[in-house]
Amino acid sequence: MQELNVWLPNLMRRLPEFWKACGDTLLMEVWSGGIIFIFGLIFGIILTVTKPGGIMENRTIYQVLDKIINLFRSIPFIILLTALMPLSRLIMGTAIYVRGVIVPLVFGATPFFARQVESALAQTDKGLVEAALSMGSSPFEVIFRVYLRESIAPLTRAITITIISLLGLTAMAGAVGAGGLGDFAIRYGHDRNMIDITWVTVIVLVTGVSVVQWLGEFIARRNTH
Amino acid sequence: MIELEHIIKNFQSARTTDKKDKKDSIHAVNDVSLKINDGDIFGIIGFSGAGKSTLVRCINLLERPDSGSVKIDGVEMMTLKPKELYKARTKIGMIFQQFNLMPSRTVFQNVAYPLRDMTKEQVRARVRELLSLVEISDKENAYPSELSGGQKQRVAIARALANDPTILLCDEATSALDPQTTASILQLLKDLNKKLGLTIVVITHEMEVVKNICLKAAVMDAGKIIETGDVFEIFSNPKHTVTKNFVRTTSNLSKIETLIRDDSPMVRLKPGELMARLVYIHADVSEPLISYASRAFDIEINIILADVEIVAGAMVGGTVVIFNGEREKINRAIQYYRDKDIRVEVIKDAGA
Repeated sequence: MQELNVWLPNLMRRLPEFWKACGDTLLMEVWSGGIIFIFGLIFGIILTVTKPGGIMENRTIYQVLDKIINLFRSIPFIILLTALMPLSRLIMGTAIYVRGVIVPLVFGATPFFARQVESALAQTDKGLVEAALSMGSSPFEVIFRVYLRESIAPLTRAITITIISLLGLTAMAGAVGAGGLGDFAIRYGHDRNMIDITWVTVIVLVTGVSVVQWLGEFIARRNTH
Repeated sequence: MIELEHIIKNFQSARTTDKKDKKDSIHAVNDVSLKINDGDIFGIIGFSGAGKSTLVRCINLLERPDSGSVKIDGVEMMTLKPKELYKARTKIGMIFQQFNLMPSRTVFQNVAYPLRDMTKEQVRARVRELLSLVEISDKENAYPSELSGGQKQRVAIARALANDPTILLCDEATSALDPQTTASILQLLKDLNKKLGLTIVVITHEMEVVKNICLKAAVMDAGKIIETGDVFEIFSNPKHTVTKNFVRTTSNLSKIETLIRDDSPMVRLKPGELMARLVYIHADVSEPLISYASRAFDIEINIILADVEIVAGAMVGGTVVIFNGEREKINRAIQYYRDKDIRVEVIKDAGA
């Protein structure tokens, strides 16, 4: 303990604030992550089945969704954060702190995840879909029993990548008053040049990313036969 | 009974999915009518790109024809509502060249896939029954990646038969298998046809397959059916050029052209000799034709090549021979063969 006080003087003096920052980051990940998972999965599936040659081919739906996703993916997140403030106030009642940043996080990462899902599902052998249809499966059955079920490994990898890139976004969100580790590191590490805080934040984030990466790879491998 | 009437299926040229990326194949299937009787093993042969895969997919509407009528046991498939179509498809099994087993599921789970409205016990009993039918019970818990090609196709057959279909569509089902495995899968299909009264439609580019198990067949080229009938007829007496080419690819006799082109000493004729191809076109050739003619007309008949096979239970094939002797006698021998309904094609004549 004595050692830590010597090596990390600034951090040790702000320990409660540090834990809260960790908690806030986790909170942002979990809340926005959950919503992104649901919407991204739905949009990814819609892209997959409505694209030309898909099982529910629909040019209009595909084109519209495709363009919207491209639009949001091309807006830098830091701009999205500001641009979506009014919407955030409308939906969440606030544009700051964890609650206020969920909306921009969802808008920022859902298109990314939807594309990840699309490319994960695209790895499904067309022949499997054809076989399922020939056995009398409905399109919805094909989605759940073939596309999703047979793509557990690539989907897990898509989730892993999204969680990690979401972590980057939460740090950025910290800059505009969302709290969390990003905010903590900027406020002390950067603004007041407390180098130990910067380093500890980096270590925490790297550890978090590694754990997520390892877990994702573990699940993916268990589902590859 | 499968009745296809005036089936037309076009593909736009800009499609990018597997089978459809041939820019020129605008008419994949062009006005095809076909009738396949219950209990038949019916072959559809053609070179790749002929439209046979598309045609067979029109039977279960995996490809919906642009126009035409598809009747299965008298029921028009084209006008079924989606739910009725899904139900109808459970009675039409299909197997594929690439087997298309679900890689994340075990053999058991793959075969159980199409089973619904059943208790766990019923599913287990049915899957085991199917696996023993295709003789692969010991692989119940294996994943497809652990199986050989032949084993995969057996599992695929079990899965296709899960809901007691009356029809089994085989899309190049043996094309990815080695000859020995092909033979064993074909034997299995033959057995299933007998045991279950299953109507089997076989799509293939391999004449061997048709020769082996089909009694009737259609030859497809450029989206059209150019010849149809008994397999024996098609083999012994092909009418269309494409069919002739096909039959030739499976016959040894076509080697003679290569030998002649290479000027092999085997096929060099001495003066007065005549080389001819004798083709049996009747189902009952059992007389000793060569030795009889040789004795009766006092000439030498030297067999260069021979290729006689059993197709659909009857003999098909012929020989390439060199006649040596007096021209008068050779001509009489040839006339004798023609009277016996053996086709005689003179290949080379070192004339008198």
